Formats: sequence, structure tokens, C-alpha cells
Amino acid sequence: MPASYRYDGSLAGLLTLYARLLAEPVEVERISATQLDQQSLFSSEISISTDQAVAEEFWQRLTKRLTDNSLKLLRRCLLADHPQQELLLYRYLLLEAEQGRRIDAMLAHPQVAPVWKLARQVGREAHRYLGFVRFQQVQGGLYYAVIRPDHRVLLLIGDHFAERFSDQQWLIHDQRHGEGILYDAGKKEWLLLPMELHEQPEATPQEAQFQQLWRCYFSTLAIPERRNLRLQQGKVPLKVRVCLTEFGRTVSAAD
Amino acid sequence: MATDLMDRLKILADGAKYDVSCSSSGSSRANSNGGVGSAASTGICHTWTSDGRCVSLLKILMTNACIYDCAYCVNRRSNDTPRVALSPAEVAELTIGFYRRNCIEGLFLSTGVVRSPDYTMELLIQGVRTLREEYCFNGYIHLKLVPGADPLLVQQAGRWADRVSVNLELPTSASLQLLAPDKSRDAVVQPMRQVNRLITINRAERKQSRKVPRFAPAGQSTQLIVGASGESDRQIVILSEQLYQRLDLKRVYYSAFIPVNQDTRLPARPVATLKREHRLYQADWLLRYYGFSADELLDEARPNLDSELDPKTGWALRHIELFPVEINRVSYEELLRVPGVGVLSAQRIIRARRQGHLGLDDLIRLGVVMKRARYFVTARGRSLEATTLDSSSLRSRLIDRTTILKPQQLSLDFSSTADDEIRSLITGEL
Repeated sequence: MPASYRYDGSLAGLLTLYARLLAEPVEVERISATQLDQQSLFSSEISISTDQAVAEEFWQRLTKRLTDNSLKLLRRCLLADHPQQELLLYRYLLLEAEQGRRIDAMLAHPQVAPVWKLARQVGREAHRYLGFVRFQQVQGGLYYAVIRPDHRVLLLIGDHFAERFSDQQWLIHDQRHGEGILYDAGKKEWLLLPMELHEQPEATPQEAQFQQLWRCYFSTLAIPERRNLRLQQGKVPLKVRVCLTEFGRTVSAAD
Repeated sequence: MATDLMDRLKILADGAKYDVSCSSSGSSRANSNGGVGSAASTGICHTWTSDGRCVSLLKILMTNACIYDCAYCVNRRSNDTPRVALSPAEVAELTIGFYRRNCIEGLFLSTGVVRSPDYTMELLIQGVRTLREEYCFNGYIHLKLVPGADPLLVQQAGRWADRVSVNLELPTSASLQLLAPDKSRDAVVQPMRQVNRLITINRAERKQSRKVPRFAPAGQSTQLIVGASGESDRQIVILSEQLYQRLDLKRVYYSAFIPVNQDTRLPARPVATLKREHRLYQADWLLRYYGFSADELLDEARPNLDSELDPKTGWALRHIELFPVEINRVSYEELLRVPGVGVLSAQRIIRARRQGHLGLDDLIRLGVVMKRARYFVTARGRSLEATTLDSSSLRSRLIDRTTILKPQQLSLDFSSTADDEIRSLITGEL
């Protein structure tokens, strides 16, 4: 009978779970990530407690065995924010254990296609966020940006911004997932940290001016005869606009 | 001071917006000098305006004053509009300000012609040079070449820019003569030839030594206005084919003619130019990525693209005897010619079928557009269609499906959907 499993929501927890499940492959109906102290209504759920050593050993073995392609797929799916990602990945790993490297080309297989699609969604969103980040200069010279992506894309975009803005102090804050990347221009490195915003940082006066210039430029650029709001909305969904200067996010300058 | 700058920015952006090129792809520049910026070879779109066009570069004119009087141009001499300019330093400052806030990938700098082509070209170069040298800017720069400028200045321009371009504007010299009497076809084509030569030489030199500075690493592009003069699609597509083959252009942009001036030489109300522009882009893609030639798409008997069908489906219907093809056996080149199969799905099919025969269900999962492809493929000998259809009944079926969709402007930069490096290799402008 297929069983349901539960882990604590951490990466180590998930890897522990996979290690246990793959040792003796079983049919799984559901994998949920909940704090273990929360009592589940379903008594049939099996809780797996995190074992750091098991997780690490499993990860080592996995990274050695998987092809670069599969590993990339796996990484992206781990960063996804999808209700079934754990289960989809489990089914993928199950097939991988059976087929080995051949899995790389099995794009249309029902145990591969959904994982591959999810990885693509994450990758695509990460690419889009290379463009959708808007920094504002706040008091103290820090460039601060807020994003609210569907998936946890920060780890995928950190290197790009670190190279591009290597001489400026910046921070990208994913408010949806409560984490952020802080870049240190002195040490030339970035760190992913849990993050929470207590008060809106104060923008510099120069910032307000650039935001005005940018909005003015943006609205001038459209050609009225070609107006196509549907196309625009497909490209810049409304949920993204709250964080974009040109769609009216207001500046929090002192004056 | 600030409002003055804002007004000028508005006027100069307004004058530049009819240039459709906004791609920032094809150049990869590392931030190696401790300065600011880098260029990603896939290109990155930062936002989209209300006409659905992507914004990737800060697209502005240095000045909107112009000594020329081209009929179609909003900045022509005889128009009574305020004339303003930015100094090279101001251009650099604006670019850096927007760039550091991640609003843009770089700069697209164009201009009206003041005093002389040489003088104007020097101004542009000065702005770009300030960015590269004083600000150590490594982002993307697209620079317009001024027709008639000295070849030495063209050479300098490519030294600082990632991409350079001269707009052909009109497909034939006759229409150029009529609508842009101050520009000669020669003055436009000459710099294009020179750039092509310099790029070829530069590539060879850089093979010998990596220390040789790059010349226009993202190549050159051009733009044609569609619908302002009487050329057929065939003339335009053949011209593009030649530009790609002979001058190695990275892109030819098509700009649906929008009347901005009252002029008896111009059509008063052009018909359905946006749709036409869209079909031309589709044909252009078929030339560049799908192995089609202009002759296959259009001939003297049918000099214009079918507005109701995309050019690939149109081609397939004229060659219905070649279909259906068995998806598990045909070559990559043949796959590319199946309506509903794109470059990516063709590659996926090739990769996936190594691990076993593909069924029709698999095709959907691989991203094939079955509403078109269903009539043209079999998988393991099976087809979704019970009977084979002749091309006229197929045509009516395919039209019904395609006209439900509202005609839309093709998005001009496809880097938005790039999800990884592989994608950029096949569709990107390398």
C-alpha cells in the first residue's frame, strides 16, 4: 500500500528521506514538508527525522553518480516552490536508480517529463529575474532590491549580479521566501541569508530623481499605434510589477 | 536642472523609439577591469512597454536635430519640433545611473545628423568612449553608424561598441531616393561592407592573438521600414537573405510603417502592416534557423506572404506530397520543416528517440504544437488523423485554428524565453 511521508522541510531532511526510501524502494503517495512538532491529522503519515550524516553521505553519492544534466535538473527542482516537487523528484530518482545515465535522454518518460518541466520553469524564472531586479540606492550607499518570485531563484542569480555589480554594495531581498543575498564588494563574495524587513530603508535624494527619469523614459518609449496590453501582461505579469519602478513602485525618499 | 534633463530625455527617447532593435545578445563581456557591468550572450530583457516590446537597452538619440529631410522620419528637418541634445558626458551618466539600478543591459545610441556625418559620428564615439574608459563600463553598447561618415570613424565605433548598425530604411534604392533624397544607397551600404570586412579581419587576428581588441563582437544589424513603399514581401525576403549571406548580418529588423508625418509621398493609411511585419519575421526566422531559402517561401507567382497562414505551414501545404513524416526516422533537417515543430522540440525529439521509439503522446510532452503538427506526422506509423487530407481542406482547418488568435506583434527579443545556454546556442545571435 502506498504510504505518505513527512519531513521537517530542510534540505538535509529531504535527503535523509530519499536515502531511506531509495534503500528499499517503496511506492509513495505523498511527501509533505511540515514541522515535525505539528501533529498531522493523518495518522498514516510516516515521519522521518533528519539525520545530517545520512543526508551528507547520500548527497555525496548522488552528485558523483548523476550526470551534469541530471544534477542541474535536481538543483533547480530543489529550489522550486511547488506542492509536489518532493514526490516528483523521488519518482525521478527511482527511475534513475534503475536506468542510470540513460535517464538523461528519456525526456518524454512520465517520471522524467514533470521534473524536467519544473526545472525549466525554475530556470526560466531565474533568467527573467536577471532583468526584473530593480535596485534603489538607500542611505549609506547600499543598493537594495525587493523581489517576489514564485521559486527560490536567488541562488541561481547571485553569480550574475556579483560579476556585474562587483564594485557596488548590494542586497537582493526575496520577500516571498524570507531570504536574501548580501554582496560584500570588499571581499567580492555573496551570502544567502534568512531575511526579514522591519522598516522600509530610506532612499537617497538622487534615487528619487533617477526613478522619475526612468518612469518618464519608460512611458515615452511605447508606440501608441502598436499598443498591445495583452502581450505586455504576458511578459510582465501583474504580480511582478509591484517590485518594478516603472510600474509605479513609489520611492521612499526622506523628502 | 532635473526637469530640464527629464524633458530632454523624453524628447530624445521619443525620437529613438521607432528603431525596433533592442536586443542585447550575442556578446559576452566579462567584468575584468574592476569596473561595472558585464554582457550576457543570451541577452536579457528588463521590462516590456505597453506595446509589448521588450526594453533591454537605454535607447536614445544624442540629438534630434537633423540636416536631413526623410519623409518617414519624425526628426526630419522640416518638422516643427523642439530640438534638444545630450552631451556625451550626460549620456554616459544616464546610462550608468540606470545600469547600476539594473534597469537596462546597456546603451543603444542613435542620433540625428548635425553639421556633418563626421562631426555627428565623433560625438557618438565620444559618448561611448567616456563610458568605456572613464566609467570602465563593460555592459552592452549598440551604436548607430551615420551614413557618410569617414571609414576611420567607423573603425573607431566598432572598437567601443558591441554591435553597430546602419539602417537600410527602404528595401530598394528607388524608394530610398523618393523618400530619403538626402541619403544615397551607397552611403548606407558602404559602411555595412566595411564593417563586414573589419569583423572578418578582426576574427582572424583574434585567432592569432587574444590581445587584439575586439571589433563589434555582436556583429551588425539593420532595419527596414515595411509598408511605406511599394515593395513586395518577396523583394524584402530576398534582400534579407542576401544581407545574411553576403554581409553576415546578425539581424534584419522589420518595422511596420507608422505615419508620423503628413507627406504626399507616403501612403496615408497603410493596411495591416503589423500583421505583415509579423509574417516577415516568421519568414526571417525560417531563413536563419530552419534552413529555408527565400525561393522556397516566395516566388514570382506569389510575391507576398499569406496573411492567414504562417510561412512554414504555407510551404508544407504546397509540398503536401512530402508528408506525413515518421517522427522516429526523419532527419533533424526534415523535422525542422514540420509545422508545429520548432528548433527546441526538434532537438528534444532527436535526443529522446535515442532511448526508444516515440509515440504521439510523447510529442506533446516534448513541446510539439500538435494542433499544427498532427496533420504532418506519424509516430510508430500511427497518425492522429484517420484519413489523409488534401491540401485545400487542410488549409481551411489550419486557418480556422490560426485566426482564432488575435494577430499579435511578434516579440522582438526572444531571449526572454531562453532558459539555458543551450537555447542561446541555437536561437541566439552568436
